[in-house]
Amino acid sequence: MTFTYFLELLINGALTGLMYSLVALGIVLIYKSAGVPNLAQGAMVMLAAYLAWMFTTMMGIPLYVSIALSVVAMFLFGLLAERVLLRRMVGQPIIMIVMLTLGLEIFLRGLAPGVLGSSPKSLELGIGLAPLIVGDIFINRAYLVGAIVALVLIGLSLLFFRTHLGTKLRAVSDDHISSWSVGISVERAIGISWGLAGISAVAAGVLWGSVQGVDWTLSSLLFPAIAVVILGGLDSIWGVLVGGLIVGILGSVIPGVLDPIVGGGTRNVVTSLVILLTILVRPHGIFGREDIERV
Amino acid sequence: MEAQAAQGASAPATEPVLTLSNVEVVYDNVFLAIKGVSLEVGEGQMVALLGGNGAGKSTTLKTVSGLLAPERGEVTRGDVHFMGENLLPLGASARVDRGLVHVLEGRRIFGHLTPEDNLLAAFSLKGDRRRYQQLRDQVFDYFPRLRERSRTKAGYLSGGEQQMLAIGRALMTEPRLIMLDEPSLGLAPVLVEEIFEIIKAINANEGMSVLLVEQNAAAALEIADHAYLVENGHIVMSGEAEVLRSNPDVQEFYLGGSGKVDYHNVKHYRRRKRWLA
Repeated sequence: MTFTYFLELLINGALTGLMYSLVALGIVLIYKSAGVPNLAQGAMVMLAAYLAWMFTTMMGIPLYVSIALSVVAMFLFGLLAERVLLRRMVGQPIIMIVMLTLGLEIFLRGLAPGVLGSSPKSLELGIGLAPLIVGDIFINRAYLVGAIVALVLIGLSLLFFRTHLGTKLRAVSDDHISSWSVGISVERAIGISWGLAGISAVAAGVLWGSVQGVDWTLSSLLFPAIAVVILGGLDSIWGVLVGGLIVGILGSVIPGVLDPIVGGGTRNVVTSLVILLTILVRPHGIFGREDIERV
Repeated sequence: MEAQAAQGASAPATEPVLTLSNVEVVYDNVFLAIKGVSLEVGEGQMVALLGGNGAGKSTTLKTVSGLLAPERGEVTRGDVHFMGENLLPLGASARVDRGLVHVLEGRRIFGHLTPEDNLLAAFSLKGDRRRYQQLRDQVFDYFPRLRERSRTKAGYLSGGEQQMLAIGRALMTEPRLIMLDEPSLGLAPVLVEEIFEIIKAINANEGMSVLLVEQNAAAALEIADHAYLVENGHIVMSGEAEVLRSNPDVQEFYLGGSGKVDYHNVKHYRRRKRWLA
């Protein structure tokens, strides 16, 4: 393998990884305030992509207006998910809530293609297919845009959690009962975190939808996203950034080397190994908090 | 008999901030935790609610703060009024907006946040930055140790510091009534004294009403104006703190008395309390 080829795998891997971060960000946004790992994030990304496609292609609304409409719709979807599903789960064991989000994932995965058609649809963002050529390295333009959007959203999230509202959301993830006791509306906080996850799902859905088409397979982005959040730490925004880069680079460089030898398919193995090894070696991930034992 | 006499003198001199009348609470639809509790906290008054484990003290506070629901508790009878308003239809956070706050048993600070962020989290979104800084500085003035440690994670604070933070966090909601559940729990006697003095100072300086739940009856009767004694879900005695302090039964069974336990007297006392309740 030439050095240039390696560099190309590295850069495009990093960009793909940041695109995974876009999906993973939604999971962390919810975990950081509700304390629930949202397994429906993949389907929310898919739903957002379907909505954007519906607004542009079916209704003929201009692209940027469609994206804005999708943002509003997905924020409302998040609020609704809290109101209708999660609020009923107060006081229930966490495993039941996780199963509920898994149920939502499966439900949405069936619903959107069922209503809007299951054949892949194209979502044109006008980014252009020609790669960006820097020296001898070919860089995927769409992934570059996705990576930049990811960096912006990660930065905004970091800032958000330092605000007054963001601090309240972090408090909610620590202890629901004592949040109530000092007047924080836990229900509203969780609703807002789901709404924000809905917004990040629009960014992920539109960008991924433009590169691989809009259909149910978008929801399986959940798996690399889970690898990202487990590696980075479920409650860490920095973890989304670093975890995304590592998962993306490993998932690009290792298959680049091994696929010609074994005949392909190593990327999924790499992703799953990241999940398994992290849980075995460092269950909280790189930046995830360990529970403070001091009483 | 003493109990009856004490009850006669129990009406607070000022208009009550908090009134519970004949409140009954049931957990899980079957377990009757408090059975007709009535009590009053007057404006600026410090009231102690004393009793042993499982007497219903914490349940009484959760009834007022609206935190029964997460534990599947329900008010099945009676009324709770705060500043003349019926509290029962309101959710927990709406009650904090009305001006009452509950410092939970076991402190329950936000362990992964810094002490300063604990304070910010409790401050209303409607408040402005100046007011936040005023309140925060006031908390740090009452609890100077918190200022020193304001940037370490709260989970690493000592037990006493966590209790201080829990009280300080509650003060950020600008309450008219603060309810404290076992602030002395698990703390060294020196710290208990320090914290109780600060509670007394907050009560005196801010004119804030206090409802103090304690197992440590000696410490609580020291600073309270008025006290209620809860046993088995009933109020069995109430009166001025001084009167209760000198009551022979209270001395014997809650303040340690002579130091030697007379089991015949315990039995006799229990039976008499049941009749009175």
